[in-house]
Amino acid sequence: MRKLMPVLLLLASLLTSPAIGPGLAAPAANTLVYVADISDMISLDPAVAYEFSGVLVAQNVYDTLVAFEGENLTTLKPRLAQSWTIRDAGSAWNVTFKLRPGVKFSTGRPVTAEAVAFSIDRVIGLNKSPAFLFKDVAGLKEGDTRAVDSSTVEVTLPKTASPQAFLSVLTFTVGAVVDPEEAKAHESGGDRGEAWLRNHSAGTGPYMLERWDTESRAVLVANPNYWGTKPKIARVVIQHVPESSTQKFMVESGDADIAANITPEQAREIAGKGNVKVQKGRLLQLVYIGMNAKHPPLDKAKVREAIRSSIDYDGIVRSLLRGEARKVQTIIPEGLFGFNASAPFQANVAKAKALLREAGVPRGFAVDLMVPTGPAPGGVRWADIAAKVQSDLAKAGIKVTIKETAQAQLLNIYRAQKGQMVMILWGPDFPDPDGNATPFSDYGAKSIAWRNAYEDAAAAKLAKQAALEPDSAKRRVLYKQLTDRILHQGPYVILYQPTTRFALRKSVAGFVWNPMAFAEFRTVSK
Amino acid sequence: MSRYVLGRIASTVLVLLGVSVLTFFIAHVVPGDPVLVALGEHAREEQIVAYRRAYGLDRPVPVQYAVYLGRLTRGDLGISIRTRRPVADDLQEFLPATIELSGAAWLVALLLGIPAGILSAVFKDRIFDHLSRLGALIGASFPVFWLGLLLLGAFYYRLRWLPGPGRLDVVISPPPLRTGLLLVDAVLAGDGEALRNALRHLVLPALTLGLFSTAVIARMTRSAMLEVLFQDYIRTARAKGLREGRVVALHALKNAMIPTLTIIGISFGSLLSGAVLTETIFAWPGLGRYATASAISLDFPAVMGVTLVVAVVYTQVNLVVDLIYARLDPRVRYE
Amino acid sequence: MRGSIPGSATSSHPIIQPRTRRGEVARYLRRSPLAAAGGGIVLVYALTAIAAPFLAPHPPITQFLEDRLGPPSETFPLGLDQLGRDILSRVLYGARLSLVVGLVVVVMSGVLGTTVGVVAGFVGGRVDDILMRVTDIFFAFPALILAMAIAAALGPSLTNTMIAIATVTWPVYARLSRAQALVLRRQEFIEAARAIGLSDARIMVRHLLPNSLSPLIVQASFNMGEAILIAAGLSFIGFGAQPPTPEWGVMVSEGRDYMTTQWWVPTFPALAILTAVTGFNLLGDGLRDLLDPRLRRAV
Repeated sequence: MRKLMPVLLLLASLLTSPAIGPGLAAPAANTLVYVADISDMISLDPAVAYEFSGVLVAQNVYDTLVAFEGENLTTLKPRLAQSWTIRDAGSAWNVTFKLRPGVKFSTGRPVTAEAVAFSIDRVIGLNKSPAFLFKDVAGLKEGDTRAVDSSTVEVTLPKTASPQAFLSVLTFTVGAVVDPEEAKAHESGGDRGEAWLRNHSAGTGPYMLERWDTESRAVLVANPNYWGTKPKIARVVIQHVPESSTQKFMVESGDADIAANITPEQAREIAGKGNVKVQKGRLLQLVYIGMNAKHPPLDKAKVREAIRSSIDYDGIVRSLLRGEARKVQTIIPEGLFGFNASAPFQANVAKAKALLREAGVPRGFAVDLMVPTGPAPGGVRWADIAAKVQSDLAKAGIKVTIKETAQAQLLNIYRAQKGQMVMILWGPDFPDPDGNATPFSDYGAKSIAWRNAYEDAAAAKLAKQAALEPDSAKRRVLYKQLTDRILHQGPYVILYQPTTRFALRKSVAGFVWNPMAFAEFRTVSK
Repeated sequence: MSRYVLGRIASTVLVLLGVSVLTFFIAHVVPGDPVLVALGEHAREEQIVAYRRAYGLDRPVPVQYAVYLGRLTRGDLGISIRTRRPVADDLQEFLPATIELSGAAWLVALLLGIPAGILSAVFKDRIFDHLSRLGALIGASFPVFWLGLLLLGAFYYRLRWLPGPGRLDVVISPPPLRTGLLLVDAVLAGDGEALRNALRHLVLPALTLGLFSTAVIARMTRSAMLEVLFQDYIRTARAKGLREGRVVALHALKNAMIPTLTIIGISFGSLLSGAVLTETIFAWPGLGRYATASAISLDFPAVMGVTLVVAVVYTQVNLVVDLIYARLDPRVRYE
Repeated sequence: MRGSIPGSATSSHPIIQPRTRRGEVARYLRRSPLAAAGGGIVLVYALTAIAAPFLAPHPPITQFLEDRLGPPSETFPLGLDQLGRDILSRVLYGARLSLVVGLVVVVMSGVLGTTVGVVAGFVGGRVDDILMRVTDIFFAFPALILAMAIAAALGPSLTNTMIAIATVTWPVYARLSRAQALVLRRQEFIEAARAIGLSDARIMVRHLLPNSLSPLIVQASFNMGEAILIAAGLSFIGFGAQPPTPEWGVMVSEGRDYMTTQWWVPTFPALAILTAVTGFNLLGDGLRDLLDPRLRRAV
């Protein structure tokens, strides 16, 4: 034992030597440390990345032809495309883009129209999760994107697709322009470079990917060949910290600059502190309950309306979510074109009971409510919201049995139209109202309406019309009609639209959260 | 003796085969659909079908098992439905972190547990013994996840003496990847700062993970020592006049180590299990977290891969322990 | 190696079993303070669990939202959690849940394991080989990993947790009872029973089993503690009981964010786990000392 002592002493000194300075390791002024739960990062290849964390990185490392900047999701801004025109070519739409001159990839090679065509075709060809955005929403096939000359791209869309939707889709990571030479150089087994692009980057964005250690961190460094204003901070480390309390602590102690998953409770605690501030971010998600319109007595419109009239929405937003959400009751979230602020429902037990009587179920009924396990957007557990709904509906005589189900099984049951009431969330894939309108209204789209067995030809027709309507004013009217109709007829109880919260060090400025769930780090300074 | 060895190895192979069957069986009892989870809400029908075909999920179960077994012999553990990568690649990436953590915890358990057990036996029924036994009892009953939270709360949040979750500070660049074991890689690269930092990050998780094994080993060592200390030949040695210290060191220790060895082997299993919880709390990118994430997503190729690898490692360790045990203890005879 | 086992220490008339448990208990307890202490804790735990509905000052799922995260006070002796639920009540109800889990696990794995072990040890030969292989297969899996895989496959719920844990802990019973059977089957009284013409099954159940109980009872006590720990661990990572069930592991998990600020939220359920498991481990230790000093060696 005595012989061990010097060893122990040595060990102890090793461990504590760089010890007790100010903060454990405050990041340098030219490194931005962003902590979040990035366990969903599967791939950083823009043709594959579909999860939030992957998108976050891809949006900083690649550029798209057009983009929405900051929180504004209605005005398209030019990125790699300097200008664009939409032409009605009779049997199809032709969208022509003129590329910005002088743009280079991080590899040094110039951006050409061929590169754009390659990138779009690549997405369709690889056919991974995000491919449907081009294939189904825009109706594209490989070859529909052509290089007219080295700086002009022409895309041919079928008449059934909406050019506006296509442009919105292009702002998403799928529209990222990848260096074709680099991709081909690292091709293996016909994968168009996918295995390599999984954790390497070849884009035109303000940053390049330096490294990605799975479940640990992703490091971005400034792209020396960037065509735009150099980012203010040269290095960004996206660190995986799954516990929100640890995230908060790291920002408070200076070990991190931005924390992405702060709960409402933690946000309130931070509000008073000196060196940390809270910033809200909008999300385009909607938390809703789907009612199976073929499951009696939910098949009666009045019963569904009764359920909608029983719930204490304000209570949910105020008490459970601590104000960290917006009460939204229509199917298009705030921030998107076509948002309808109408929110007529609030807990009215008398009205609910009257409706139930009229529908022929005066003594109420029993029903199952399936919810996912774990946390819901807004920082509360799904089960907690379910418990509240359960107690609200009980007042109207409706007995709810909560069935917590792992997401995998829940999706299975829901997609098979076997749910009774299902509480879940929906986020649009692209910032166009059609990303919500069609799934919620069109039975034929085999999406949400289908899962809830809701067949409404009039609603489906409205959704299709609105998607293709080029005139903004007319489009707005159509969406108002659609959302009002679904509000009272549909099988949905839209509960809320969550916000997300960030904790930032006071000195951090210029952080803007795009509701499509990413932020551009080039504007951030500290 | 060598017949015994061969016999043990043969039965190990059989056991591993059984392990693969059991794992496969469990993974296919799955009621949910992992493909949906992997592809997400928006997946279209044809994508799902294509995916299923690509992963061979549309063939009958016995066929799938046969294919799986065939691939296993070639070292192919299938493709993870969640990460879309070969499971073997995933395991290769995450295994070193768990080895580092488990190894450190094991070291803690041995360095703390064995001396504590020995001293406890030598000073039987004195204060040290009582305290040590109480400590070991509580240590064996302590929920690992709470211990981790406590240690983090105390040493990171409150005292700021030790770093928080993760293997390395954010601002430190990891050394070039050679083995995946940060400590080894840092030494190989001559990166003293990374080495120190990695060691500091290792302290809390190793203590958390190691407490249970420390307690078990301490208890075991104590009782084994007691057994031996009171046996006849020890009494004879004492009667012959040998000094107490030598008695202990030479005879008691050697014989007490034998049953302790078995426990050391078994404790490795609890380390692998405990790693799941410890890695969750300390955001340690190891097999435990991978297993958890895979299990939640019903990613059964990954779940099978992890379970299999862990079982294999555990079985090997036990095999080695058994062989050493048989070597040391001539009284061992198996039916 | 071992000779006869205790409990049949009076094996001069082995077929007539001594049944003086009641009278000897008091003597036993005095001899082993460990068993007494452990037994005491377990008793308190069991009584609390059974009486929870009467002891709990509030219903366990009622939310007092305005007082959420309140510190321990007169009305809420252990404080409130993040949804304003009384922690004391939830801990009490949690005791019921964990008691049930423990009992079910012990019964399931005990019955299964003992059956396998006794048959293997008594019948021997091929049967023994096969059964021991199967046992080895289950032994090859570290507990939590196998339990997690099963719980994930069957779905997260307390019932499935019990099945999962039982699947992991039965092998120990098998080994223990097999070892006993191996020794006992050579004993006189067993041979006598065979000579009389009793069937194998009858011998196993009526004569082997009752004499093998000691190590099994000790193991059962440890198993209870183990089951509670594993169940809590599974719930902590999300595979076992689900919120709003007042299971201790779930409560610690839900409260982990508040560890440094409202420490009572995760701490009290964690202390409950610690106390209960310590009780069972103490009891197991004590019983082991009592029932066979020579069995101090673990499995």
